[in-house]
Amino acid sequence: MQGSSLKIAALVVLAIVLLALPQVVESSFAIDIFVRILLFSFIGVAWNLMGGYAKQLSLGHAAYFGLGAYTSTLMQINYGISPWIGMVAGGVVAAAASLPIGWLCFRLRGPYFTIATIATAQALMLIFLKFRDFAWGAEGITIPILGNAPLMLQFESKAAYYYVVLGLLALGLLITYKIEQSWMGYYLVAIGEDEDAAEAIGVNAPRIKRDVYMLSAFLTALAGTFYVQYIYFIDPPTAFSLNISIEAALVAIVGGIGTLWGPVIGTLLLETTSTLLQSWLGSNTGGIQLTVYALILMAVILWRPNGLMGFVNELLQRRREQQQKPARARTAP
Amino acid sequence: MLETVAQAVINGLLIGGIYALVSIGVTLIFGVVKIVNFAQGEFVMIGMYITFFLFNYLGIDPLLSLFISMPVLFVIGMLVQHFLIRRVLGPNDMPQIFLTFALSLLLLNLALLLFSADYRTIHTSYSDAAFHLGGLYVPEAKLIAFVVAMALSGALWIFLRTTDLGKAMRAASQKPDVAVLMGINPNRVFAVAFGAALALAGAAGSLLMPFYSAYPFVGQVFVLMAFVAVVLGTLGNVVGALVASLMMGVAESLGIQFVGADSGLIVVFAMFLLTLAFKPTGLGGGRVR
Repeated sequence: MQGSSLKIAALVVLAIVLLALPQVVESSFAIDIFVRILLFSFIGVAWNLMGGYAKQLSLGHAAYFGLGAYTSTLMQINYGISPWIGMVAGGVVAAAASLPIGWLCFRLRGPYFTIATIATAQALMLIFLKFRDFAWGAEGITIPILGNAPLMLQFESKAAYYYVVLGLLALGLLITYKIEQSWMGYYLVAIGEDEDAAEAIGVNAPRIKRDVYMLSAFLTALAGTFYVQYIYFIDPPTAFSLNISIEAALVAIVGGIGTLWGPVIGTLLLETTSTLLQSWLGSNTGGIQLTVYALILMAVILWRPNGLMGFVNELLQRRREQQQKPARARTAP
Repeated sequence: MLETVAQAVINGLLIGGIYALVSIGVTLIFGVVKIVNFAQGEFVMIGMYITFFLFNYLGIDPLLSLFISMPVLFVIGMLVQHFLIRRVLGPNDMPQIFLTFALSLLLLNLALLLFSADYRTIHTSYSDAAFHLGGLYVPEAKLIAFVVAMALSGALWIFLRTTDLGKAMRAASQKPDVAVLMGINPNRVFAVAFGAALALAGAAGSLLMPFYSAYPFVGQVFVLMAFVAVVLGTLGNVVGALVASLMMGVAESLGIQFVGADSGLIVVFAMFLLTLAFKPTGLGGGRVR
């Protein structure tokens, strides 16, 4: 009981800090970094639903990021529809696209599922590059700048973007929490542990995987719309970038795969590292950043396969045991 | 028209030989060690850079550098297996996938740091030479690459069939537990398989160099192709991977000829998706893991 009220108190403090942050920090450079951290946390949370709990290790989530981004941009440019509506529409399109894509990819398991997801995301990028009449091809398009137009998801201050993506992350975490607490969460973990065994005890694995894949795709697509609106530009290599797929998985694995807060912790570590590298070495760090990410990923896999959350839990567990030992000694006769 | 098709088929078969070297490596590792090596393409890239620097600084012909790139990559393969892969073998997929994936990211970005993103090419006496068969055009460098690739694939096949180590490898891939009972040391077999697979990637790199540019991302082209070929040719099946690679080379080449220069990959992906939809066990049948 005491533990849960402590957790709620910590959550309230965290919420206050996060809400106050852009009011205190005024540098738009810093807020830009916060936005990146929140955005990639959110993408990681979306990936984690399927990749972390059900261990369906997709490296093709850029497919949904891109579909979401393109849907809202096409609606905005061609019909003047607000990206707020486009964002939801993009999510629906991505969720619908996850049905055939999942139908194909779930035929393979383990590493070959991963490859199939990479291939589908790459194929979508090639399609958007090839058919230029449909969506501007390789040139991409710049989103018209409207000044301060909150109804069109455009703001003058960076802080507003911060609150939007903070809201997205809160939504993602809330959904994950609800699923974690429900039968669905247990089914997902069972599938992740051993799919055949889960099916043997009556888990409808194909249906559960399909549903969680749809949800994961929907959320990832929301991030796609936000990102494009934030940088005011879209082209196929940006929207379907393999790096998006990689980072989605990376933050979850480094932070702690299949845990509520893992993707957030992972993003904090990776984005902070990347920012520090940039400030030390200047902006020309493309190679260095991913080299360091790769080394961190290897280190986590070899030494801490449960990620940073696993590490923290281990420490807490050890402390609890040490506290309990003398207590037990006293009660013994 | 017929000539155009025949020319496209020839081009496809020749490049398909290189795809075969990469995909046989992937399928060999998958068959024996039971992991997918996402970094296989980066080892092709390393083979290319080795060949490039040997040619540029020491004037060693790419074909001769086969005798350097293959052993070097064989040793790298044994080391990677011993120090990295061995530690993540087990029922859990996640560490295996992301360890080799991290290795791929690492090698690619190290190459980017060390060699920059520049395209590097070399020019040999046979780079521009070609045979003419009727109206058809067969570039010499590609023909040599194809012949050597087929010879190496054949050598591997004979090795797996006839030598004790090769038989031990096949035994370890079919029934690992029983193989251990028969006195086969799995770690040794795994290291040799990994080394052999990387040596093939190194060979692919050396053979490519006379007619292809080396750059940090070059491996991605080949590894994607190899993954598709390995699924199409039934996972773990060496002959299947070879046949599928040649088919994909031809499909890609026909795609480039008849759909457009940037459409080779689209045709390959379409083949992949069709395979998944209608024959996920690959052409050789068997089971899907």
